[in-house]
Amino acid sequence: MKDQTGKFETVDKVNEGLKSTGYICSTDIATTVYLAFHLEKPVLVEGPAGVGKTELAKKAALFMDVPLIRLQCYEGLDESKALYEWKYGKQLLYSQLLRDKLDQVIDKESDLGESIRTLHRYEDIFFSPQFLEPRPLLKALQEKRGAVLLIDEVDKADEEFEAFLLEILSDFQVSIPEIGTVKARTKPYVFLTSNSTRELSEALKRRCLHLFIPFPAPDLEREIVRHHVPHIPDLLERQLVMFIHEVRKLELKKVPSISETIDWARALILLHAEGLDRDLTRKTLNTFLKFEEDIRAVDEKLFLLVDKALKETA
Amino acid sequence: MDRVLNNFIVSLRGAGVPVSVSESIDAARGLAISGYGERRIVKSTLAATLAKSAAEKEIFDDCFERFFSFQSLPSPFADGPENGNEEQPKDMPPIGGMIMEGDLGGVALAVRDAARSVDLQSIRFFTQRGIFTSRILQALQLDQLDRFVGDLYREGGAGASAAARQLEQGRDALIDMVRRFVEEQYEIFARESTERVIERYLWDVRLTELEERHYDRMHFLIRKLVKRMNERYSRRRRRAKRGALDFKQTLRANMHHGGLLFETRWKKKRMNRPDVVILCDVSRSMSTVVRFCLLMLYGLNEVVARVRSFVFCSSLLEVSHVFETSPIAEAVERLRTGEGLDIHMGRTDYGSAFWDFTNRHLEAVTGKTTVIILGDARSNYGDPADELLKKIAERCRRLIWLNPETPPMWGTGDSEMKRYMRLCDVVMECSTLRHLEQLVRVLVRIP
Repeated sequence: MKDQTGKFETVDKVNEGLKSTGYICSTDIATTVYLAFHLEKPVLVEGPAGVGKTELAKKAALFMDVPLIRLQCYEGLDESKALYEWKYGKQLLYSQLLRDKLDQVIDKESDLGESIRTLHRYEDIFFSPQFLEPRPLLKALQEKRGAVLLIDEVDKADEEFEAFLLEILSDFQVSIPEIGTVKARTKPYVFLTSNSTRELSEALKRRCLHLFIPFPAPDLEREIVRHHVPHIPDLLERQLVMFIHEVRKLELKKVPSISETIDWARALILLHAEGLDRDLTRKTLNTFLKFEEDIRAVDEKLFLLVDKALKETA
Repeated sequence: MDRVLNNFIVSLRGAGVPVSVSESIDAARGLAISGYGERRIVKSTLAATLAKSAAEKEIFDDCFERFFSFQSLPSPFADGPENGNEEQPKDMPPIGGMIMEGDLGGVALAVRDAARSVDLQSIRFFTQRGIFTSRILQALQLDQLDRFVGDLYREGGAGASAAARQLEQGRDALIDMVRRFVEEQYEIFARESTERVIERYLWDVRLTELEERHYDRMHFLIRKLVKRMNERYSRRRRRAKRGALDFKQTLRANMHHGGLLFETRWKKKRMNRPDVVILCDVSRSMSTVVRFCLLMLYGLNEVVARVRSFVFCSSLLEVSHVFETSPIAEAVERLRTGEGLDIHMGRTDYGSAFWDFTNRHLEAVTGKTTVIILGDARSNYGDPADELLKKIAERCRRLIWLNPETPPMWGTGDSEMKRYMRLCDVVMECSTLRHLEQLVRVLVRIP
């Protein structure tokens, strides 16, 4: 992909550009996106759930103004689901419809060997691009203007699939036995995300740039909240982010993610809150905690947590 | 910059981040694109290309801050040239000139150059620090400086001896500086090899003699071992799944193609991961072995289907629930402290442990179960109850006995090992990490 519009001139421009699409990010993220573009390398994004890994790919597509093609990984995902499939039905239908034609072609030859030789001249018809059903990976290679290819939760796929990805990720080409090698028209921009349910192979990691997105620092998260909930009172926003950061330090089954911070902020706005207090917090805990045990654990320490959030933002 | 980057990568490797050649090329290309202008961008660039996991990022941060700190060279030299000697005497080595001029940057550079010329990067052990210090000083022509100072003193005269004193002071400071520099570089470059020596030692150390400060490393090694084993044996199992063509399923799957067979369905072989029941002797002499054995066993979810664990000392108790409710590392810790567990820690009694097991938990053992007993078979001259063990042995698929003592000790004193051995399918010594690894091999080889 070429940088025609100068969007990728400097790291700061990338940062600004992502911001304009609504993705507020750290230098680490902007630098990695910038590098991946210039080095034409895939980016492997890791981090806890809900820090905006998938969102990054979506917003990058928006920023670059190219389509986003998404491949969701799961156990048992294979080539026919990820790369291409032959349209069996269509092949079958055509061969039925064309039966008469085939008869004619073969009819003239009386000899069996002769008929087969004749058929050989036509054999590639049924295995031509018209009968090919492209799946996400092939689609991404075929996009004329390039695309953002998002391979989501690659850790859920089997190791075999990971090995298969290697060819695509290093050369941006795939071989289809019946047709030949398909090369990318424009190299797509690839994001892989992983929740680290298992460790990925060294080979895959070597080929990718690696980006670890942690939960954002309070300042960054406040900026994110302000961006998504523009009418939020300043005091509430500060207290809320501080509170969430305190909650994340607890040992919970699932700590609140960024999107849940935003949900909570929206909920509080609806309730016309100007600042945090204990009652309001207790009533709205379920907007950012999704397990009964977690709610109970936070409820127990609610007094301390709210107090701390209020004190630190006073 | 390339050289600096190279050194940085060497230090990263030293700290345990495996950087490949292609990754270092990426780093160099990345830097060329993003430039050296801003420290935070340089750091992000290197982080994206070199450190490929959360743990590695942490090490990277630490290394980056240490490597690019530039604090190592405080000014020990006299300030500025006082005697204003423009012409340096011919037989004074260059380092002497720098000392006289108080050229700190020049000295620092000279030290680094000298360090490179003697290949300081290859330092691996702390015993090498002395030799490298003296080699660097030699490369800086310190002996020549000494001779020059001697000559100055002999020459006499106020100017000459003042210069000589200044040079001597500078020389001492220089030696100090080189020593510190070597120390620092040793920290940066030699970490890995020290780690490796410890690792090699840990593989063969007797678990009963393991010091507590090595526990963390041991946990790390076991995690590595578990990961390797899981990878190796899950692949094998997957291959075993590809059986013969399942014709019925294939027909059904291809109905919509009008009976033409495009997609194939294969008969799946049943995976044979063993069910494991483990009985652990948790008397004091055994506790570390039990700890690491359980730590490994519960990690092996690709190799082992299900684990039920029992511990015994004077009486026997099932502890599977501890492992179900808390993370493995925590669970083994709880077993060690015995917190919240109702177990009687008196004299070890194998007889009553077997009695408890056969009377209360025998249903845990089926024809598919592999029973592992981890213990030294020292029953304090109590009733060995080998007929009860025989009952277990007949009921299970395999009976494995792991004994942390070396074979020559078996059967001596109150050890009933010789008696129990006859009833077991596999008897192994189990006192080091290497033995634990062998255990995995035995486990997957189901008869």
